[in-house]
Amino acid sequence: MSATHEMIRVINLRKKFGRLVAVDGVNLTVRKGQVIVIIGPSGSGKSTLLRCINHLEVPTEGEIWIEQQKITGSQRQLNAIRSQIGMVFQHFNLYPHLTVLENVTLAQRIVRKLSKSQAEAIAMHHLERVGIADKARSYPAQLSGGQQQRVAIARALAQDPKIMLFDEPTSALDPEMIKEVLDVMLALANEGITMVVVTHEMGFARAAADEVIFMDRGKIVERAIPEVFFNQPAHERSRAFLSQILSH
Amino acid sequence: MAVKETIEAKGQIASPPLTGTELREKIRNFPWWIVGLVGFFVLTAHLVLTRASYQEAFSFIRAGVGVTIQTTLIAYGFALILGLLTGLGRISNNVIIQNVGTLYVELIRGIPMLVLIFFIAFVGVPAGVGLLNRIGEWFSQLGLLFIAQPLLRLENSAVPMTTRAIIALSVTYGAFQAEIFRAGIQSIGRGQMEAARAQGMSYWQAMRFIILPQAIRNVLPALGNDFVSMLKDSSLVSVLAVRDITQIAKLYAGRSFQYQEAYVTLAALYLMMTVVLSAFVKWLERRVRQDERNA
Repeated sequence: MSATHEMIRVINLRKKFGRLVAVDGVNLTVRKGQVIVIIGPSGSGKSTLLRCINHLEVPTEGEIWIEQQKITGSQRQLNAIRSQIGMVFQHFNLYPHLTVLENVTLAQRIVRKLSKSQAEAIAMHHLERVGIADKARSYPAQLSGGQQQRVAIARALAQDPKIMLFDEPTSALDPEMIKEVLDVMLALANEGITMVVVTHEMGFARAAADEVIFMDRGKIVERAIPEVFFNQPAHERSRAFLSQILSH
Repeated sequence: MAVKETIEAKGQIASPPLTGTELREKIRNFPWWIVGLVGFFVLTAHLVLTRASYQEAFSFIRAGVGVTIQTTLIAYGFALILGLLTGLGRISNNVIIQNVGTLYVELIRGIPMLVLIFFIAFVGVPAGVGLLNRIGEWFSQLGLLFIAQPLLRLENSAVPMTTRAIIALSVTYGAFQAEIFRAGIQSIGRGQMEAARAQGMSYWQAMRFIILPQAIRNVLPALGNDFVSMLKDSSLVSVLAVRDITQIAKLYAGRSFQYQEAYVTLAALYLMMTVVLSAFVKWLERRVRQDERNA
């Protein structure tokens, strides 16, 4: 593993909200093309960790490096780094006043300064990729939750990101729509995109993850390949968590 | 014959005779206040058309409508700019900007508008002119005469009352509108800003392309209502002897002793303008709500 393939390096990250320690000394490296799935009980700090990676949360302590570049307080550099990290949110966060196509083209035009026709060509390519090109002229509110989330994925992909972050992308969806989103994510994983996914979908973790990270109380408890993690978890807390969610 | 019967029957199906309760419901829900309002207009129009004294009052006072509308429009434009900037300042992360914005809003909100108009016209504007003169002196010492001369030439006594009135209204309403803009911006979910920043947009890009378009659409009805309020409050500038309709009506009444004619006409003129504007604001509100449902 040469260092040039290291996409994300998190060093001794701590994040406190007031007196609450959400992330407590996390170290993590993600290499190019890896799919990392982070699981854990709610409040375990997994979303906060993810949000620290693109600096949506400012870490209290520790360092984040993206491709050998340290994310610092410098806004200009931060914006440039962020534009190379796609993020998909639990609640989609599409721009409701813009059409699907405009949602996907806006950042390309004002951040990457592409022309309208270039941006639209790229947008249509990614909308087709997530199977929703026919809704390009619709507004987000006219789409189902699953469709909105697929648009959000296309919006992130249109940035041509080096890394994709997914923050519980299926948690706000009705059960019948979860599959369409997971299918898209699985396809992306198979294409070799570097992905960090916070999710409760154990099926997806099994199928797509190169490594599973189990977090509890702000710390990484266990890191293993899915076969090992799901079949022979090493830690007591991982076992307890798995037995709770897999008991039905 | 048969055809006619069918038509009649159809008519009956389309609108069956109202039952007692339905009729009562209709009467209860009918907007009778509109009838009253229209009645007032009809009565005033009748007076103006049939009585010479009203006719005279009307044609005299009417001349002030232009000044009232002009004052309101210009002041409203400035208030919008001032309000938007202050509203953005109020939510700024910069402690100084945020505090200056809040101080401005709290000062204005705690002082009666009439007092503010006197204060700005007779204390604020002279102080402002004095400050600009000082800046002019400073520039002339630097040798930048082309900037210095227009500033030095400013004189407090040369600032017309209309300008003072417009400044006073703008500064006052700027504070109210700052609160509208602030509330509008804060009503947009945090996720919107996060999504935009996560895509690499700067704070101001996110504001301009994502937050403000949504926020402004949401506050359009409130801004419209403020315009109606401002139109009414512009009557206060008559204390500065600005010849708006209120001032002209006052002059007319004082000169002719026809108080009833003057003030009935004045009230009717204001009401006419505000009723039309309010109807426009209501329409706007419905549009915004409709968009919300469809969008």
